[in-house]
Amino acid sequence: MSGAALAPVLAFPGRNGAHPDERHAGLVSDDERVRKRERETEIRARVVAGDVDAFEYFVVTYQKRITRFIYTLLRDPADADGVAQDVFVKAFRALPDFKGQSAFETWLTRIAINTVRDHIRRRRPVVSFSELHADEDDDGPDLPAAFDPADGTSPERDLLSRDIRHRIAEALVALSPRQRAVFVMKHYEEKSIAEIGEATGLDEGTIKSHLFRAARKLRERLEDLR
Amino acid sequence: MNATRHLASDEIVECVFPAGDGPSAVPDHLGTCAECQERVANLREAWLLDRGAVSGAVDDLPSGFWEAQAAATMVAVRTRAAAPEIRILPARARGILRHPVLAFSSLAAALLLVGGLSLVRSRGAAPAVRTAAVKSMEKTPALVNDASDDELLVSIDRVLEDSSLAGFLVEETL
Repeated sequence: MSGAALAPVLAFPGRNGAHPDERHAGLVSDDERVRKRERETEIRARVVAGDVDAFEYFVVTYQKRITRFIYTLLRDPADADGVAQDVFVKAFRALPDFKGQSAFETWLTRIAINTVRDHIRRRRPVVSFSELHADEDDDGPDLPAAFDPADGTSPERDLLSRDIRHRIAEALVALSPRQRAVFVMKHYEEKSIAEIGEATGLDEGTIKSHLFRAARKLRERLEDLR
Repeated sequence: MNATRHLASDEIVECVFPAGDGPSAVPDHLGTCAECQERVANLREAWLLDRGAVSGAVDDLPSGFWEAQAAATMVAVRTRAAAPEIRILPARARGILRHPVLAFSSLAAALLLVGGLSLVRSRGAAPAVRTAAVKSMEKTPALVNDASDDELLVSIDRVLEDSSLAGFLVEETL
């Protein structure tokens, strides 16, 4: 199909999720958001009516944003792709139950959080001996190579920065899936407390409690840092 | 706050990762202490680098990757759409698997209740009632059988007495 059927849909200037930079630059206006929501309601109706190919709009529009979110939570590129795919399959299955009370993106984020949680629960809970040695030999954590602070002002500063990043990543991985999701949404995606509440179904007090615990975990990791 | 005291690590963390919306209040001490300023700056820089790194690791992937990823996802979606809705276990059975202790303790409680009630009934019920029930079970089928046998025999006698019909039966048999 799908190119022809989706052409008018994809012509909509949808972005792959509103990245913080875009939000700050004011690139996603309220009007655009309203139009996008209306368009998504139409497409949703088409999918529910049996037009499976129309679902491609949601995949193309949100896959980068969802993959980024999952990758920030899991810190594992190999897992992130597969989990992101699971998220879309689950969303497709659950689409008839989605009443449109929240934005599609918010609903999709909620599915992503639950899928990541299930993935973490299923994943092997122990570290193998070989991995342990690999970590000891390796200078740094499993951090992405991109944006390495190689152009820093001094090797000492680069090393310190890398060390702090390592500790931030460690602290994040040590959090419960829900705490991790809340922390990432707040500090990596710059969502407001209200937006986090909508995506997670948690009230403000609980979100702040999760953020506090995450910060405490970070503090523990950064305690000896001078 | 004591302006001469260095910031504790939780205060440093709070400066960079405030729990509420908007920036956190900057401690007075931070305005005058270069050492604490550097610690906050280091953490902020590392966090921004980390955020940029995880974001960049995904955003910098070539468009071909995303096209392939979308195509693979749609294959999975179409496969799912084509497959009939199969529920191997009904919702109740899945509930049992999820909460086996609760399910089996409920079952045990129900069995105890049924067993207890049966015991109470069997002790409380009069033996006469049981005897009557047994008697009716013993008598009723025999009485019914005798009556139907009698009727059958009477009807056969009537048929045999009817000679014309008897002759017809003989001819048919031959």
